[in-house]
Amino acid sequence: MSATLPQFENHDQQEHKYTTCYMCACRCGIKVTLEGEEIRFIQGNKNHPINKGVLCAKGNAGIMKQNSPAKLTQPMMRKKGAERGQSDFEPVSWDVALDYLTERLAKIRKTDPKKLAFFTGRDQMQALTGFWATQFGTINWAAHGGFCSVNMAAGGLYTIGHAFWEFGDPDWEHTKYFMLWGVAEDHSSNPIKIGLEKIKRRGAKFVSINPVRTGYQAIADEWVPIKPGTDAMLALSMVHVLLKNDLFDWEFIVRYTNSPYLVLNTPGEAGDGMFYRDADDKPQAWDMEKECFVDANLADTKPALFGEYTTPEGKAVKTAFTAIAETYLSDDYAPENAAKITGVDAETIERMALEMAHVAFEETIEINCEWTDWAGRKHDKFIGRPVSMHAMRGIAAHSNGFQSCRAIHILQVLLGSVDVPGGHLAKPPFPRHVVPPIKPAKPQAAGEPLKSPPLGFPTSPEDLVIDDDGNPLRIDKAYSWEAPIANHGLMHMVITNAVNGDPYPIDTLILFMANMSWNSTMNTSNVRDMLCAKDANGDYKLPFLVVADAFHSEMTAFADLVLPDTTYLERYDTISILDRPISEPHAVCDAIRAPIVDTGRDVRSWQEVLVDLATRLDFPAFKNEDGSAKYKDYKDFIINYEKAPGMGFLAGWRGKDGDKSLRGEPNPKQWEAYVENECFFEYHLPPEHRYYRFANKGYLEFAKEAGFIGKDDPIVMELYSESLQKFRLAGQGLYDGPQPSNEFDKQRLREYFTPFPEYYKPLEQEQTSSEEYPFFAITQRPMMMYHSWDSQNAWLRQILAQNFMYMNRAKAESMGIADMSWIWLESKTGKIRVQVKLMEGVEENTLWTWNAIGKQKGAWGLKTDANEANDGFLLNHLINEHLPEKDGSRPITNSDPVTGQAAWYDLQVKVYPAQEGEVGTWPTFDAIKSLPNAKQSVDKLQYHTHEPVGLHRSLKDIIMRGDTKGSK
Amino acid sequence: MHPAFSVIFFTVTSGAGYGLFAITALYQALAAQQVMSPVQVLVSCAIALFLITIGLISSTFHLANPKNAWRAFSRVRTSWLAREGLLAILFYPIAAGYLYLVWQDMQGAVMNATAILAAVWAVVTIFSTGMIYACLKTIRQWNNALTPVNYIMLGVMLGSIIFVIIASIGEGMSQGVITTSAYLIAIAAVSKLVYFFWIGAPAGSTINTATSFTNNMVRLLDVGHTAGTFLTDEFGFEVARTRLLALRWMVAVFAFVVPALMVWLSLASGPVTIAYVVALLSAFGGVLTERWLFFAEARHVVNLYHGSQQC
Amino acid sequence: MKLGLVIDLDTCVGCNACAVACKQWNTSGTTGPLSDLEPYGKDPTGVWFNRIRNYEVGEYPDNKTVHFPMSCMHCEDAACVTVCPTGASYKREEDGIVLVDQDKCMGCNYCAWACPYGARELDREQGVMKKCTLCVDRIYDENLPEDERQPACVLTCPSHARYFGDFDDPNSEVSVISRERNGESLMPEMGYQPVNKYLPPRAKTKVQTYVNDTNPISKVKDWVNRLVTR
Ligand SMILES: Nc1nc2c(c(=O)[nH]1)N[C@H]1C(S)=C(S)[C@@H](COP(=O)(O)OP(=O)(O)OC[C@H]3O[C@@H](n4cnc5c(=O)[nH]c(N)nc54)[C@H](O)[C@@H]3O)O[C@H]1N2
Ligand SMILES: Nc1nc2c(c(=O)[nH]1)N[C@H]1C(S)=C(S)[C@@H](COP(=O)(O)OP(=O)(O)OC[C@H]3O[C@@H](n4cnc5c(=O)[nH]c(N)nc54)[C@H](O)[C@@H]3O)O[C@H]1N2
Ligand code: SF4
Ligand code: SF4
Ligand code: SF4
Ligand code: SF4
Ligand code: SF4
Ligand SMILES: [Mo]
Repeated sequence: MSATLPQFENHDQQEHKYTTCYMCACRCGIKVTLEGEEIRFIQGNKNHPINKGVLCAKGNAGIMKQNSPAKLTQPMMRKKGAERGQSDFEPVSWDVALDYLTERLAKIRKTDPKKLAFFTGRDQMQALTGFWATQFGTINWAAHGGFCSVNMAAGGLYTIGHAFWEFGDPDWEHTKYFMLWGVAEDHSSNPIKIGLEKIKRRGAKFVSINPVRTGYQAIADEWVPIKPGTDAMLALSMVHVLLKNDLFDWEFIVRYTNSPYLVLNTPGEAGDGMFYRDADDKPQAWDMEKECFVDANLADTKPALFGEYTTPEGKAVKTAFTAIAETYLSDDYAPENAAKITGVDAETIERMALEMAHVAFEETIEINCEWTDWAGRKHDKFIGRPVSMHAMRGIAAHSNGFQSCRAIHILQVLLGSVDVPGGHLAKPPFPRHVVPPIKPAKPQAAGEPLKSPPLGFPTSPEDLVIDDDGNPLRIDKAYSWEAPIANHGLMHMVITNAVNGDPYPIDTLILFMANMSWNSTMNTSNVRDMLCAKDANGDYKLPFLVVADAFHSEMTAFADLVLPDTTYLERYDTISILDRPISEPHAVCDAIRAPIVDTGRDVRSWQEVLVDLATRLDFPAFKNEDGSAKYKDYKDFIINYEKAPGMGFLAGWRGKDGDKSLRGEPNPKQWEAYVENECFFEYHLPPEHRYYRFANKGYLEFAKEAGFIGKDDPIVMELYSESLQKFRLAGQGLYDGPQPSNEFDKQRLREYFTPFPEYYKPLEQEQTSSEEYPFFAITQRPMMMYHSWDSQNAWLRQILAQNFMYMNRAKAESMGIADMSWIWLESKTGKIRVQVKLMEGVEENTLWTWNAIGKQKGAWGLKTDANEANDGFLLNHLINEHLPEKDGSRPITNSDPVTGQAAWYDLQVKVYPAQEGEVGTWPTFDAIKSLPNAKQSVDKLQYHTHEPVGLHRSLKDIIMRGDTKGSK
Repeated sequence: MHPAFSVIFFTVTSGAGYGLFAITALYQALAAQQVMSPVQVLVSCAIALFLITIGLISSTFHLANPKNAWRAFSRVRTSWLAREGLLAILFYPIAAGYLYLVWQDMQGAVMNATAILAAVWAVVTIFSTGMIYACLKTIRQWNNALTPVNYIMLGVMLGSIIFVIIASIGEGMSQGVITTSAYLIAIAAVSKLVYFFWIGAPAGSTINTATSFTNNMVRLLDVGHTAGTFLTDEFGFEVARTRLLALRWMVAVFAFVVPALMVWLSLASGPVTIAYVVALLSAFGGVLTERWLFFAEARHVVNLYHGSQQC
Repeated sequence: MKLGLVIDLDTCVGCNACAVACKQWNTSGTTGPLSDLEPYGKDPTGVWFNRIRNYEVGEYPDNKTVHFPMSCMHCEDAACVTVCPTGASYKREEDGIVLVDQDKCMGCNYCAWACPYGARELDREQGVMKKCTLCVDRIYDENLPEDERQPACVLTCPSHARYFGDFDDPNSEVSVISRERNGESLMPEMGYQPVNKYLPPRAKTKVQTYVNDTNPISKVKDWVNRLVTR
């Protein structure tokens, strides 16, 4: 048959190269077919651990990203006399740009390094940027986690030692019951899709908790339309049902969590709620056999899970689990009460809890495999409770998200389904000890590197980054009383705080890969004004703004200096184990990017620029003893830099000859080894290291050797968080250490830092009248668009160039709101006019839209009449970076009071029809200028890499063939 | 369906042309006495051929790639479009033969046979034009026997009015010619009316059969593209109900009532050319509207995928 | 052979990967390029062979969202082919793939009118009709690794909602799966006998609830500690 077909592709002229996709942060492996300099086809790499050959819509549209007219072409400086925001630039050479920047930064570094704020978007090189900031000596560094999903990371790391987000996965191979909480897409874009199909094929039950039914929720067996912001209540009510029915994994909880630890029960006294410790500071438990207090971490004891005791000192203590159970057994968490808050009826809550209990305890799975636990005891099988969960921003993006996330983890722990077959699995380098032993850096003398990375995990008020008066030291006020365990910083507050000089003004802000004048900012219009705000002297309040971007985004328009980056197909890059892992539960993985095509423009990769700047600025780690540059370039740095002996950015092909994995001396041919191996490295864990890793001796020793954890002690899950309790005591005035002076701060600590999660209303909702603003308004990520940056993609934007506000049909009709009509949406902060679409699959009190589709005119290489800029819109205009002011409060960040996670989804609005004739999106913004030397945005495209080889029908066939039906 | 002007114009003018040719030829062959002079016949047929030809030319404006138009006859085995094309092209030699005989003032069996052949050929050509539409299962409003009947009747009706005008200018005008025309108008009107009623009854595929979800309400949530596509442009054409009704009234009035009135007037008070011209203009306008409606009212089943509940 | 696709409505999450993969492959494929108009302006549009639509079945709160990918069904009784006057449209005898010979098409749209499934799109820049080729330029290409001789859309689908194969072979994956899961044809009443089959959503998985015979616990005191060795 093929003999009758022509040769369609000229394979001799084609070449295949591998690299890692970066149309989003999922980091799939791709195989790129090139025809000369042009890209013929981008497909999934079937050997790659993340995507196993598949590719999403964005990944498939890489050609049009590479072809985008919005690609930056050269470094640029704002024209003399031009105002910020107008995109009026003068091209400069890299030398001029970097000389200028070096001079400015050197001055800051010598005088007051925190006057440089360096914030980075969804990059995957935080290990490098963080290291750079540490060497520079500024505490004002963070990546995007604070506005993204730090609640999920923190919630997990303060509870189970791993997390949702990218740190853990459901055991897709074995799970029989899967509950998805508030996820539209997540970073595990392809893996979730691959996994969902697997479980559906196996007949596992898939339950989705989400106010909206699109995407993944569409294929769920059961959809639970919950009211936004109430998930903690739902989870804890299910905990209530499990407790009430005595359905929890008793052994799991006793063995692997701190539930049997004894807690001081001395309300009103210092030390209340802290663990009862012996003279050696060891937390104590009650041994039921020996009938005495014992070191709670000893092996082979028989600790009581419940009980109240009196210590020899005469103090009342009870087990942590007693406190937990007392709270959750109360009527507050009974399904009937939870139903009122969550909108999910009581029977459903009860049924789901009992279904999960059935699967966990009656459909237990066992994997025969010998393993040794932390105390050296041999086991012949892994017992699995095949209930798994995954959760993301539907939980995270609320100001009660940290505790909601903890509530979900507690549900998982009660079911015994953490890192067990069929449950929620950690991905190396996780699990880590709860809490990871890294503290946030405090300022050092000017010119000195920081002693630790700027971001860490506070466990007590002493770890806060505040001055002696208790005022924030960081520009984003992370690790202050306002957001004590802001593990990822508060990127969303940087511009506001810097412009307000609160806590202090800064000199230079470097933004890498974040579109903060547009979609990653709250109250977009305001922030745009702030970026242009001037002081009495007519100088910008934010004196100097450097933007490292690859495209003509809304953000570049505000830059004083634009440093143009390469695209993902043009650069070397590492996706490092030191950073955000791409590991699979059963394999340690990392990856690189290697250039596939030439840039053809005067652009440099940000990695390269950072290494160059570090060298120019004489960072100690980038200098030999004789003062000469230590690293030639980025590639050289990656090969030779060692965090600890034998440990570097890349874990694969280490050792002089490249024969070592994870640890080994630098290998000068490491990049080549990666390229040869399709740009990724995968180290499979042996079967006995695959589960129960928190207590798995072999694994813990391996993880210590690999540098994932500092000690090979078992990882004890903290249902009860003493760290949180310390903050709470500080709020109660009972803490022997730093305490806030402001009553307002105290009250927040008291209410929100409960040692185990309790449901509270999201803060904005607490302060907003539900009568006046009766609707919740949220966003979802569309699967085929990545934030703001895919609207430049000629193919993807054909699918989605305008977003609508979606609303429950019956509800809308009852309010006289018609399908496709224009409506006003109004919050306390502002209002927008948008077009509404009615649908069935949305909770009655919720409105939602696709995120980041609206664009500013002139940005992204789009013409000014583009749908995105005229009919598309941002919800962000309605969201405020500050909470509505309450009596006696200062302007306080609209974030989770524990972690500082931006509370995007707490928004409450009212809705009413627009007047006759009021059509079109409002507000819109003036067009920004196109850039010097910008590629033209064409009127038509006919992309192809070769003349098509047609397939012809013969004239004979045309004339002679009678019946055209069927086939032979 | 998107009403493309080139196609509307093509079907109406060529239909009228074939109708006129058929009537002219038939009258000569079947009428008891000579109705028209050879010159009148020649003029009549020339007008018919002119209408046919500009119609056919207009139809090619509809092609996105007219350089391949010559291939359009390749699949007469299965394609009504190919058949129509072939019939239309082959009509020219037949018409030429007939006209030659008229020119020669030939009488008798050969002449009559040729006339009948030309007439039948013309009607079959209109029929096949109708079948282009009628054979499409995807469009319920077209996929029925009334479609070719309408095409034939409206073509013949228009032809008959032109014929009456030509007859009235010279010799050969008779009561019979006028009554025939009146009958044709009436039959065309009735067949169109029946058609309007017929397509009004809901039937055919629904969004449920289109999506295979037959037990429940199905609604479109998102078509998967922001702007229109070829499909929505071509098939998504929709006109407000009220406007459709108004247009149907226009069709009734201009295509049938006004011409009928004019003809009735001349029956009562003797032939009045000017009345026939009014009738013709009115009928042409009416039939153009009818043809526009024929497209505009047609609901292609692909609309079900774009959200229509039924087509 | 009777080649075609099976689409699994139970697992399709509507991600559009298949649509873009199709666009990507085919724009340089045998019937490429697939032109795009106003790619950076108002109302961008272009030629696609595969589009994903979304429907809602039932009403709140008993509603279900269904993602619905559609491309050419390679119908057995393909009127798009029979109506084509030029013979540009044809159904391959050897495997049933319905194709358009780009050099013979006159752009009359007639085949698109005849297609109930919206599978044909005119390339308005090139004046010719285009449609899914079932990736005829991949599936037979012996220079591709064997496991890549699959349509681009099938290879890429992250939720494995697309299958490709020969329906004439009763043991092929597509035959087996459409038999076992009652694969359906769309608009069967049209009589086109579409080859592609749609697998309806599986019956919802039901899970038993734990039946507990012990009394409900209402106070912590109700629990009796168990001896568990740490
Ligand atoms: N295609 C694509 N993929 C992406 C991105 C993208 O832009 N496009 N962005 C990446 C980034 S940076 C991130 S952070 C991740 C985020 O990935 P997701 O966590 O999937 O983020 P969202 O799209 O915000 O989805 C949140 C979901 O939670 C639901 N939700 C909202 N409020 C609540 C609530 O109170 N309770 C519950 N149960 N559900 C709620 C919403 O309806 C929505 O379905 O995605 C990453 N992946
Ligand atoms: N209303 C609402 N707002 C939200 C969210 C929401 O759900 N709802 N989600 C929030 C979340 S979780 C996040 S993570 C943020 C995301 O918001 P941002 O981080 O601002 O995301 P992008 O819009 O993708 O902007 C990133 C910038 O990176 C640039 N870029 C792309 N590729 C490269 C590259 O290779 N190199 C360089 N140097 N630059 C590049 C782009 O051009 C763009 O300007 O949005 C937040 N905003
Ligand atoms: S999910 Fe898609 S865009 Fe993201 S890395 Fe993978 S293929 Fe690329
Ligand atoms: S789906 Fe349409 S284009 Fe494809 S074979 Fe069937 S009728 Fe023809
Ligand atoms: S558009 Fe082309 S393929 Fe379609 S019917 Fe006309 S000539 Fe045939
Ligand atoms: S089989 Fe090929 S041409 Fe057809 S829809 Fe899939 S990718 Fe497109
Ligand atoms: S790629 Fe698969 S899951 Fe995504 S839209 Fe296509 S068929 Fe559905
Ligand atoms: Mo994010």
